[in-house]
Amino acid sequence: MASVTLKNIKKNYTKDVTVIKNVSLDIQDGEFVVFVGPSGCGKSTMLRMIAGLEDITAGELYIGDTLANDVHASKRGIAMVFQSYALYPHMSVAENMGFALKLAGTPKAEIEERVKKAAEILEITHLLERKPKALSGGQRQRVAIGRAIVRNPKVFLFDEPLSNLDAALRLNMRVELSKLHQELKTTMIYVTHDQVEAMTLADRIVVFHAGLIQQVGTPLDMYENPSNLFVAGFLGSPKMNLLEAEVIAASATEATVKLPKGLTVRAAVDASNAKVGDKVTMGVRSEHIRLVDAGTAEALPARVDLIEHLGDIVLAYIEIPGINQILCVKLPGHMTGLKYGDDIHILFPREETHLFDAEGLAFKRVR
Amino acid sequence: MAMSKNVRQALGLTGHYSGLILFAIFTTFPFLWALASGLSADASKMYLFPDGFWPHDASFMWFERVFQEMPFLTYTKNSAIMSFFTIIGVVVVSVLAGYPLARMKFPGRGLIFVAIIATMMLPSEVGIVPNFITLKNFGDFGNWIQESLGLGSSWNMREWIGLNSYFGAIIPNFAGAFGIFLMKQAFEAIPQDLIDAARVDGATEMQILWKVMVPVTAPSIAALAIFTLVNAWNDYLWPSIVMNSKEKLPLAVGVFNDLTGPFATSDNILMAAIVMTVVPVLVFFAFTQRYFISGMDGAVK
Repeated sequence: MASVTLKNIKKNYTKDVTVIKNVSLDIQDGEFVVFVGPSGCGKSTMLRMIAGLEDITAGELYIGDTLANDVHASKRGIAMVFQSYALYPHMSVAENMGFALKLAGTPKAEIEERVKKAAEILEITHLLERKPKALSGGQRQRVAIGRAIVRNPKVFLFDEPLSNLDAALRLNMRVELSKLHQELKTTMIYVTHDQVEAMTLADRIVVFHAGLIQQVGTPLDMYENPSNLFVAGFLGSPKMNLLEAEVIAASATEATVKLPKGLTVRAAVDASNAKVGDKVTMGVRSEHIRLVDAGTAEALPARVDLIEHLGDIVLAYIEIPGINQILCVKLPGHMTGLKYGDDIHILFPREETHLFDAEGLAFKRVR
Repeated sequence: MAMSKNVRQALGLTGHYSGLILFAIFTTFPFLWALASGLSADASKMYLFPDGFWPHDASFMWFERVFQEMPFLTYTKNSAIMSFFTIIGVVVVSVLAGYPLARMKFPGRGLIFVAIIATMMLPSEVGIVPNFITLKNFGDFGNWIQESLGLGSSWNMREWIGLNSYFGAIIPNFAGAFGIFLMKQAFEAIPQDLIDAARVDGATEMQILWKVMVPVTAPSIAALAIFTLVNAWNDYLWPSIVMNSKEKLPLAVGVFNDLTGPFATSDNILMAAIVMTVVPVLVFFAFTQRYFISGMDGAVK
């Protein structure tokens, strides 16, 4: 087991094409860290640099206390699970799992024992003699994970390992990966573009965007206190509702903003740096928007555009007259009475309203 | 008038099959003719149509005569040795040349590939004179080594690597643009993840090549082996130039030298010899064709 430390890591493919701009990060021993971000944000490249499959243009990578920049992939003490599984098609499952040990010159008996032990953990003992082509997608994924476990690595690297599985299987494997981490207590770095995987698996999430780390934190902290607009929009499903607004009053505990058509909303944030007239973006998550009676103070009028019944919850897509933007409201599953065209009133709770400045940076929430 | 569906279907199928049958006849008739002639003790009908296409007075007489008229087994042994080592040589060269062209980045890679492909545009006859001179020099070199080491003339090292050697008869065929191109394409089709996985597992570049890439490209290698076998087995011109002792001739050259020309016994014996020449290739193909179909299944996704 080992920690992983990134110091000012940069990656250029050519002089002009920079995919990782300047990344510094400390990953603790035994931590489960998830790199998340949209396609092309550099998260996979970062992982491949840690694995030793891409050169590091500048900066320092430490695995444990060792500077690993120029250490060969096989000598870094890492094991990697690929999105495509990358099983050797001409070898049986047991041979696939034991390949690294065989290359390292491990005695045959020990290879067999370690393969057997890993197979038991993953419940694939009955598949050991089969070739990859005789396995289902989920089984192949287990073998790929088994191949990593057998090596007894200091750090596990996962590159979107669940992307090729169907939804039900993905859920299963997610739970199993969590269990595996509990059991092995090895440092794990996991890349995904799926924010649900990130939220459920991670001890800490690292959000990447355009080659930079946007925010690092625990899943709940990131969800409740996104540091900028990108993180706010990326984490959470449905996405956070974001509206353009203008500051009309600001203090250290509260800001009042004006939406088009003269509607005002108050947010509990430290807006001491904001000035009246500043352009800002107001954000509120779908589950925090409240349905209220017409007479309630600060209630905003709205109209229902679409209703989606998901069983446990109802998603209502609504529009505030004068603001050309659809907002999503998450309501309890029993609220089946709403229908298209209904006039309703909503309230953005002051404590749950986020505010972002013109640069997209969040004002600190006051609670 | 509308035809019923069954009639139309039957007409379509008839057209389909008659096309296929015609094509089959077109491709197999030389062999069938040779087989029928070889099996006919009555030689008079050979050039008659359609009588030439089935045996008259069937017997294996001509096949037996082949063994009496020429050292058929010696020639077969020579062809087998030369084809075997040609296949080994071509596969090794093609794999070692195709892998870096497909998977490694180095300056001049594109140019080298174009140069290799450009050799396909040249007729093979262009190489005859330079190759002949090179081989003569090889032989002189062998002789020089023999003399330098003070070995007796019975060693005859000139004929190990020079003219009139197995080595000389096959070495120009080792580096073929076709094989390099085929293996390059095969290596390019392998997903990068598989190579990365092997690299993480601790394989060196050579181990990646021989333990992962080569087994995964087995179908392409099998195809290359078959093509090479057919070419090497049928190679006539070059061995006929290089080889001058009868006991080293391959089948194609031996059959031509011994059974054709003004003093040839009969065309039927030639046909029998041709049929016997083709059979080993067919047998080899029958045993290797299953390797064509198994491939990348299960590696990724």
